[in-house]
Parts: sequence; C-alpha cells; structure tokens
Amino acid sequence: MNAALVSMVVPFFAAMLVLMWRPQQQSWLVIVASIVSLLAAMMALLSVIDSGPQSLNLGGWESPLAIRFQLMPVNALLIVTTAVIHLIVVCFAASSHHCQSIKQAFWPLALLLHGSLVALWLSMDLFNWYVTLELLGLAAVSLVTLAGHKALRAALDYLLLSLFASLTYLLGVVMLYGQYGTLDIALLATLTEADRVTQTALLLISAGLMLKAALWPLHLWLPAAHSSAPTPVSALLSALVVKAPLFILWLLWSRVAPSELAVPMGFWLALLGGGALMIGGWSACRTPHLKTLVAYSTVAQLGYGLLALGLLLHWQLNDLQAALWLFVVAHALAKTSMFLAAGEIQASTGKKRLNSLRGMTLTMPVALFAFAVAGGSLIGLPPSGGFIAKWLLIQPMLIEPAHWPWALLVIIATLLSAAYVFRVVSQGFRQSSVSATATEHGKSAQWLALLPAILVWLMALFSEPLLQLMDVFSA
Amino acid sequence: MAASELILDLILCLVLLSLAVAVVEVKRLYDSIILFIAFGLILSITWARLGAPDLALAEAAIGAGITGVLLMAAYANLAPKKHLQNSHRSWLAVGFSLAAMVWLVLSLIPLADSPESLVAVAEQAMADSGVTHPVTAVLLNFRAWDTLLELVVLLLALLGMQQLRLPSLKIAYPWPLLNAWGRYLAPLTIVIGGYLLWRGSSGPGGAFQSGALLAAGLIVLRLNHVIPGLSWQHAWLRCSVLCGAGFFLIIACLTAWLGQGWLDYPASYSASLIFIIEFLATISIAVTLAWLVTGQQEAAS
Amino acid sequence: MTLSLQLFLASGGILWLTGLYGLWRNSDPIRRIISLNIMGSGVFLVMVTLARRETSTDPVLHALVVTGLVVAVSATAFALRLAVASQQEKR
Repeated sequence: MNAALVSMVVPFFAAMLVLMWRPQQQSWLVIVASIVSLLAAMMALLSVIDSGPQSLNLGGWESPLAIRFQLMPVNALLIVTTAVIHLIVVCFAASSHHCQSIKQAFWPLALLLHGSLVALWLSMDLFNWYVTLELLGLAAVSLVTLAGHKALRAALDYLLLSLFASLTYLLGVVMLYGQYGTLDIALLATLTEADRVTQTALLLISAGLMLKAALWPLHLWLPAAHSSAPTPVSALLSALVVKAPLFILWLLWSRVAPSELAVPMGFWLALLGGGALMIGGWSACRTPHLKTLVAYSTVAQLGYGLLALGLLLHWQLNDLQAALWLFVVAHALAKTSMFLAAGEIQASTGKKRLNSLRGMTLTMPVALFAFAVAGGSLIGLPPSGGFIAKWLLIQPMLIEPAHWPWALLVIIATLLSAAYVFRVVSQGFRQSSVSATATEHGKSAQWLALLPAILVWLMALFSEPLLQLMDVFSA
Repeated sequence: MAASELILDLILCLVLLSLAVAVVEVKRLYDSIILFIAFGLILSITWARLGAPDLALAEAAIGAGITGVLLMAAYANLAPKKHLQNSHRSWLAVGFSLAAMVWLVLSLIPLADSPESLVAVAEQAMADSGVTHPVTAVLLNFRAWDTLLELVVLLLALLGMQQLRLPSLKIAYPWPLLNAWGRYLAPLTIVIGGYLLWRGSSGPGGAFQSGALLAAGLIVLRLNHVIPGLSWQHAWLRCSVLCGAGFFLIIACLTAWLGQGWLDYPASYSASLIFIIEFLATISIAVTLAWLVTGQQEAAS
Repeated sequence: MTLSLQLFLASGGILWLTGLYGLWRNSDPIRRIISLNIMGSGVFLVMVTLARRETSTDPVLHALVVTGLVVAVSATAFALRLAVASQQEKR
C-alpha cells in the first residue's frame, strides 16, 4: 500500500515543485518524477501479487467514518498502466519539436492529472470519487485549452458537460448516503436493496459516469475535445481519463448494485456498448480528419468495455472481468501510440485531413508503422493485447447459440475497426504528388510513439501471468 | 406552532423555486445574474433555517458573494452583442422536465423517513479528533483527504485560468465612496476572517468561510488599487497559493512515514496540527479566490 | 417535522431539475454556468435536509456541502473565464 501512496504523492509533489521553483530544465524533473512513480507502482503491483488485496483507512478512523483506500490487482494494474503511459507521454512531450510552445503549462497540469488518477484508482469512497472526478475534469479541460484559441469552444463544452455529469453523479451519491448512511463501497455492497431510491440513485450515478466516460450515446463531446487538444494531451485523455469513470461504474454495478437491478441493467449496458461499437466505428470510417478518426475510434473501443461490463452483469459471469480490464489496458497503450503518431504526423504536415498522409511511408515511416501496429491491437490481431481481451470476451458468447448475436456484433465491430485502421495506413502507401523529403528531427518522438504499440503486443507474451492476476481477483 | 413553521418553510421553498425558474427563464442575462445573487441569499437563509450555520456563512460568502462578483466580471468582459438570446421555449424540454420531476420527487421523498447516517459514529469519534466542532472535525480529520484534494481543485482552477492568458480585469478609477469604504472594509474583513478561523475549532466557521471573507477583502483592496495586480512572478504569491495543499500533503506523508498511517495525526498534536493546516489553507484559499476574481496580471505590464 | 423535510427534499429535486432545464434551454455559456450552479444548489439542499433528519444534525453531510461549495466556486470561476476567452477569440 505504501508503494501505491508513493506513486500517487510523487507527481503531486513534483507539480508543486515545478510551480514553486520554476526551474529552467523542467523536463528532467518531470521525467524523474514519472520514473519514480512508475517504480513505486510496480512495487505496489508486486506486493498485491505476493500478499493479496490490501486496505487502508485514512486517518486511522474506523470504516464507515473514514475514507478507505484499497489496493486490488485491478487497480494495481491500472496504476502501473497510468504510470507507464504518463512516462511515455512526458518523454514524448519533452522530445517532440511540436510541443515546445505548450511545455511550461503542460508539466504541472500533466503531473496533477497523474496524481489525481492514482488517487481515483485507490479510493473506495463515493464522495471522494466526486472530488477526484472534478480534479480530473478540471485538469483535462485546462490541458485541452493549451491548444490555443481554436480549442476553447470544445474545452468549454467539455467543461460544462463534465460539471453537469458531476452534479448528476453527486445527487445519486447523496441519495445512496441518505438511504444507507455510508459512502464506502464495501459497506454499501452489504446493505443495498432493490428499492426505488436505490434504483434512481444508481441510474443518476450511471448517467453521470457514462457522460464523463463518453459512452455512447453520451459521447458527443469527445471527438471535438480529444481531437482539438495538443497531441500529448489527446493521448492522456483518450488512454486514461475516460477509463476512470468506467472503473467506478464497474465497481458500482458489480459490487454495490443488488443483482435484481444489475441483471436487467447489464443487458441495456451491453446494448449501448454495441451501439457505441457500430456508431463509433462507422463515424471513424467516415470522418475526413485524422485526429477525429482516432477520437471516434476511442468512442468505438469504449463500446467493448461497456459490452464486457454489461454482459458480465447480465450473465453474472466473473470471467469477463479479465476481458474488461485487459481491454482497458490494451486500449490505453494502443491509443497512446495512435494519438502520438497521428499528432506527430499532423504537426509535421500541418494539415488535419486524412489525404495529407500520402507518401508518409517515405517521410515518416516510424510514425506510420506505430499507427499500424497499434491499429493491429485495436482490431484484435493475434498475438496482441487486444486479441487476448477479445478472445476472453468472445469465448462465453460462442458456447451458447442464444448468445451468437453478440458474437456477430463483435465480428462486425472488428471489421469496422479494420476498415478505419486500413483507411489511414493505405493513404500512407499512396504516391504523393508533392516530392517529400524525410525529416530528420522528431525521430525520437516517432520512436516514442511506437513504444506503447510494442508494449501492447508484448502483453500477449505475458498473457499467462496477467490472466492469473485477474483470476486471483475474481476468485 | 408546527403549522406556522410549515407555512414558513413552504414560503421559503416557493420563493427559492420561483427565483430559480426566473433565473433560467428571464430574457436578459443581466436580470438573470441579479436574480441568481438574490437566489443565493435566500439559499443562505434556508441553510440557517435548516440548522446549518456553517453553510449559511459559506453560502453567503462563496455562493452569493464570490460567484456574484465572478458573474458580474464575466458579464462586463463580454461585448453586449455577444449575449446569445434564449432559444424558443421547447415544450419537449418542459414535458421531459415535468415527467422527470415526478419520478425524482417520488424517489427523494422516502429518504425523509430513513434516518441512516454517520451521526452516531462521528459523535463517538469526536473525543479523539482534537477539535470540538463536528463539521471542522469531519473536514480536517475524519475526511481530511477530501479537503486536501479540494485545495488541489482550487489550485487547478487557478492554473487553468492562468494559461488562458486573458487580459486582467479592467479596473476603472475607484469610485470615491468605494475608496472611503474600502479603508474600513478591508481591515474589518481581516478581523472577522481571523475570528471565523479561530472560532472554527469550536463553533461554526473555519478555513473556507474565513478564506472567502479574506478574499473579499483582498478584492476590495485590489479594486481600490491599494495592492498591485497578482502575478505568478512573485515568489511569495506562489508560496501562499501552494502552502495549504503543500503543507497538508507533507503532513500526510510524514504521518504515513513516521506515524501510524496516512493522515493519522498523533493524538497529542492533532489540535495544533489542525490549526496550522487550517491557517495555511485559509491563506491559500483567500489568495486563490481573490486571484480567480481579479485575474492574472501579465508579466509584460 | 417530516412533512417539512419532505417539502425541502422535493424542492431540492425540483431545483436540480430546474438547473437541468436551464442547461438545456439556454445557449449562452454564462447562463448555462448559472444553471449548473442552480443544479448544484438543488443537490446541496437535499444534502442539508438529509442532515436534519435526526435530533442532532449530521456533520458529515455539512462538511461534504462545504467541500462541494468550494469545488463549485472553483469550477464556476474557471468556466466563466473560459467562456469569456472563447467568445473574445471569435472576434
């Protein structure tokens, strides 16, 4: 547990140091802080593997009064993922030439975002989540505004929707507290009954969280906000920030909600997930802009998460938990890679449209390769992290003929994702009319964009321990 | 007796609701802002009626006061033509809201009869909390982590505002009456703010109320040109913005490292630790709120 | 007593919905921010009413409202600045 706390505190302190002393060489301080945080996160993961879930009551007060932190395999894995992605994104921002202008303000905000995310993963308290969600929202919006005046409108919409979602969430939380007199997830789980108040409260909380996670049909703010943000910010938002509400949603429905409510809700959630896969994938195939395509792909891929969550609740199958969280981790890594590659390409061509990619195999081969490799995992090509997750998801669907329509849905979604990934890659292979010259600078940034894509394929090599980790949890 | 109280409550609720409907329905933005400030004041009376003096203070200072000033400042900064007119009243929206109202009210009403809460647990723990006012004990001891993160929320709002690089609030030559009043008002806010902070350990009051009041004092001083525009260039300003959250976080780490656990204050020090944390948090809150209202002074000027 | 608590609870819910309606109906960012504040006030009213159900008031809910108020004012300040900035750039 202490290692997890270190992983959370280090980014907070680093942010305050950067703000207070404003050193000339900020990037080194930030990178060192991210490395320390990553090491601590790994120690936390190891300690969970060794000794199982750990719980900590903050302030030493007994359970209903105190805010409780809990370290489980799932959130230990998420803390490590958060630290890995932050480290890569921070290194990218330090090395990319296109990020020079935003750096000064980027470092403290990114660090605060990192700390807030870890705080959210660790917490098991409904109201504390409200505060951390607000932290995430404010940090995310401030980061989007770094892109300058053209992003302000999208940032404002994002902020207003995020505040609205927080208040919806808060009303639900207050109703649960009024009914059961506690804010702790584990205690609530033992108390809840399927009455009217609980139902309304859970629906309000879910609506707020689904809006924050941009789950279809509440996704409309996401493409504008994520595609207009600066590149490293888009990566952080798409890879990590939208996953935080999904985590709360999962804990809430799988632990707190009584099964009389969870089973029917699961069906609807799965249906919404299917809708996200179709509409998100279709929009990604249609949009003319590169970063918007990647943003729509996030909408679609979040649909897998929602589908896994919904079916897990509907069929009461704990095995699907592994599918859900492997999806989240695989998508986080792949999407980081995709956004960094897409952003680097867009920044060096100066054009947003997809057809500006022509001839990219010659000028920016590494970035395009990164995009393709990450796309492979999104499609679910073996042996990638995305493949394992999809395999886990589809297995229970194939067993019973009654579940085959869901499997069909997943297959169509796979074809759609293959279509939009191929749309980008094929443009890169086309002959360019303008004679292009290979750009020497920005090489390291392109390699950094490739790194998470390689990690997601490496996940397949470590699939055995990963699955064991998840089994420990569902047992 | 009970009947007359019920009538009072009914009137209070009706006034609140009609003000709220008026705020969202009136044509002009300016009217909407004025009505919203009135709404905030009625709300603070409601808090007092519901036995929450801490909140009445906080609402009057933060909700009606600071938010009102912020709204006015935003209104003044917009070109008059930019105020978008209301769209036509959508009967779909009205119908949806009415249906949702019935559903929501029906699910809220049963809550009045299910007295499940943490009152008993909190009362038991009060003896070890280091303070005698329960709300302060919850804010700075039982759920101190929320409060710490909330100071970070304030910091984030300030950082977000700063890098928008807006021109600072245009401040005209102060009105003579304001000038005269300011000389009395500003020291008065410091005295009352200090009193609220000191009182927070035993009665209604505390870091937030006091910080909001001090912020109001700072804003008056700024409007009178007594203090210069706030800028990130000044180390002492950075220090005062960061000291609340920073010190709180250091205490959290020290208690985890040397003591019994994260934010678990040693029993003999908890009263003094809470006071120091509150004191520094008050400074941070006051400076941050004042800064949020008056805006960033650009380095060039 | 219960009757007046029910009255305040219902008012809190209706305030929340009024804010929601205002958010839907208004397109001006400042008015939307005001609507959000009304929504927040509705939630706080529910919280303060729930705190009063027993003979001694619930300090936890009061503390949560104080936290919520500060979060609300920070978010409002930032949102208003953002609204002004986004409209100024359009010129």
